[in-house]
Amino acid sequence: MTRSSRQHVAALLIAAAFGTALATRAVAQAGAGEDGTYLIKGGTIVNPGGQRMPNTNILVRNNRIVQVGGNATADDAKVIDATGKFIYPGMIDANTGIGLQEIGSVQTMSMRSEMGEFNPHMRALVALNVESEILGVTRANGVTSVVTSPTGGVISGQATLINTAGWNWEDLAIMKTAGMVINLPGSGGRGGRGGGGGGRGGRGGGVVNANLVADFEQFMTESKAYDDRRTAGATQLDLIYEAMRPVFKKEIPAIIQANGETAIRGAVAFGEKWGIRVVIEGGGDAWKVRKFLAEKNIPVILGSIESAPSDSVPYDEIYAQPGLLYDAGVKFAFSTGGGANARHVAFHAALAMAYGLKADGALKALTIWPAEIFGADKEIGSIEKGKLANLFITTGDAFDLRTQVTNVFIKGRLIPDDDRHSRLYLKYKARPLPIKP
Amino acid sequence: MRILPRRVRAAFICSVAGSLVALPAALTAQDLAIRNATIITIARGDIQNGTILVRGGKITAVGTNVTIPAGVRTIDGTGKFVMPGIIDAHSHAALENGINEGSESVTPEVQVQLRNDDPVIYRALAGGVTAALLLHGSANAIGGQSRIIKMRWGMPAESMYFKGAFRIVKFALGENVTRANSTAPADERRFPMTRMGVEFVYRYWFEKAKEYDKEWADYRAGVKTNSNLIMPRRDLRLEALADMLHGDLKIHTHSYRADEILMLIRAADENGFKIHTFQHVLEGYKVADEIAKHGAMASTFADMWAYKVEAYDAIPYNMALMSARGVVVSVNSDSDERIRRLYQEAGIGVRYGNMSTNEALKMVTLNPAKQLGVDKMVGTLETGKDGDLAVFSAHPFSGEAMVEYTIIDGKVYFERAEANTLRKVAGQGGQR
Repeated sequence: MTRSSRQHVAALLIAAAFGTALATRAVAQAGAGEDGTYLIKGGTIVNPGGQRMPNTNILVRNNRIVQVGGNATADDAKVIDATGKFIYPGMIDANTGIGLQEIGSVQTMSMRSEMGEFNPHMRALVALNVESEILGVTRANGVTSVVTSPTGGVISGQATLINTAGWNWEDLAIMKTAGMVINLPGSGGRGGRGGGGGGRGGRGGGVVNANLVADFEQFMTESKAYDDRRTAGATQLDLIYEAMRPVFKKEIPAIIQANGETAIRGAVAFGEKWGIRVVIEGGGDAWKVRKFLAEKNIPVILGSIESAPSDSVPYDEIYAQPGLLYDAGVKFAFSTGGGANARHVAFHAALAMAYGLKADGALKALTIWPAEIFGADKEIGSIEKGKLANLFITTGDAFDLRTQVTNVFIKGRLIPDDDRHSRLYLKYKARPLPIKP
Repeated sequence: MRILPRRVRAAFICSVAGSLVALPAALTAQDLAIRNATIITIARGDIQNGTILVRGGKITAVGTNVTIPAGVRTIDGTGKFVMPGIIDAHSHAALENGINEGSESVTPEVQVQLRNDDPVIYRALAGGVTAALLLHGSANAIGGQSRIIKMRWGMPAESMYFKGAFRIVKFALGENVTRANSTAPADERRFPMTRMGVEFVYRYWFEKAKEYDKEWADYRAGVKTNSNLIMPRRDLRLEALADMLHGDLKIHTHSYRADEILMLIRAADENGFKIHTFQHVLEGYKVADEIAKHGAMASTFADMWAYKVEAYDAIPYNMALMSARGVVVSVNSDSDERIRRLYQEAGIGVRYGNMSTNEALKMVTLNPAKQLGVDKMVGTLETGKDGDLAVFSAHPFSGEAMVEYTIIDGKVYFERAEANTLRKVAGQGGQR
């Protein structure tokens, strides 16, 4: 008998011995969560931009929130008692490498950058590994959606907005293409993306590669001309230029890496020149141009808050910036940049709160604002009727380290309490104590 | 082992150090009181509406019924939380001219050198940190010696050294020491390149150290009756190793995987040395009983994983699991960034594994103090200990905690109200 068939027989015997309930649970644990109808009863809903709603039921059916109200009920629903608990919309990390990158130091497990400079036709979504262990630990702390983005080159490719649980990449997708990642050559903004949530990109001038600037100008000119021809009825396809059309049509934003003041202004000017939507990513010096950004209605995906400031700036610059942006009316989102620690994005927001960001601003920047920035606010970002049931239940304030996350729902599925880290925890917690001699 | 008597060695060091002399204690030890605060003593629970008094740099009173003498600077602690100054058991901040002597795999004769004007010291103070272990890097199976400092920003380097702390040497295991991830042409391959080779380094060098130690012991015993005996040749590398055998130089070792942790415990058992503290110790939870039995402590990341293969089984429950098995655990930064928010890192132990708040706070106070050999002086708020304090705007684990004061020996080294903050800078010159 082969090893696998022995295991198979063993599994059948166990299933027979313990009954179908256990077998069903084992299947659910291996999967992306259990579909069904759920009634989340008696909890306090904490929505961005809204009053807290105490003792309010939520009815979930067919992936979506179908009713929010004190008296919502359904006979066929599995009941989750949330009495005394808090229910938050699932959090969003607005820039990660999750699914493309598993172990940073291993080249075959770290494929975020395609070769070449102009890669608008590269799509992050189609390369996502749904079995990434990072997905499991991320969702367990209430992060239900992330943006996964390619890196490298001038045009890195198409970022995607996904749920952190699903059966395959198609099932994961919320916005198949959430934005076009662009690193403007010569702007000094290149280089900060990716990594493990550590360093932020270069802020200073950087070396201007004149050829690359000219090549990029030519690429934009040709792809715009292509878009015009296609709009006028031309049928001949060019797959690379074709990928730029949603940018020119303003269906998706250009996500432009820019940290210094000059780079940020340059990115905005670039957007105006080509008539495209711009989202700033990194935004190290965004506070210096916050009035400008608010007037132009340019949102910012902040680089990791867990970064060390440069020696010449106030010690709290990185922590205090979100509060200044909020007060100035700039829309922004938090991001961890890498992925392995995406589950801590709430603690990034907590640091910003400690240094002046209002609590509601912190929640907005983790939920509804990133949803709006990527055009997904009809699907996610708050607990409202009709949206995907992406939410998590806690014992207290989501930003407090003493709080426990007790349940997570993604796309209306109750997520099993089972990820790489909880598995190892339970395994070694159960190790028998040494026998005393 | 001490080849030269301690006094002779001290004189030698002084002559080398020349004019670099520590400032008198009067310049660094001061009086201070904080009243009406929540005082997290670590040793005896939290005190509501409490007062803490520091005189001449030492805590002289903690409680609800403390009289503050006239003339002592008093901070109103209403709504604030006072805890022992945070101690980072693993940092590479403020080191001059490199942290790795990577030329050979055994270099315990070297010591890291302090750069006292590194802004990281100030930013660590702004995160409530008052002391740190500054370690040699992880390029060698047996690396160099460390320094332990109090974060006395603005003082000469000699005045930052934490008097009375352990002498600590750094070992390293796994991918770094075998240079498994290094492809730089400058990093020439050298022995060891495998975990098998790393294990042999310990057997080989401690055997040599034992021979060297015996040679000197024989000499010292023999010279009493035979003054013609020739003194053995002094070897600073073997001398440092012999100091480890005698427990005078404590071993902190960079470690990731359970196999290599167990390997080093057994190498230590078989060769007569002790591992004082496992650093990083990402898979310590798998061999927590073995670590506890050896008598070693553990200093780990709160949550760093998947950045390399040997970090793939790192879990944030590591702190809770090792603590539950009787290992003294600290959480460290190993980073100029995390050193700014170690209180938050400690709180991860509550979120993952449900440690009690006090046990979690111990991981950045009393427990690292034990690992640095300074727990008689710092790590809790008790009468007689050093007046090293961090004052927070809210409970350090709440989502809104910010450090308002950081105090060492009663002297305020960081004060938020006086600091150059972003809001102050942003308020100047208006918005653009």
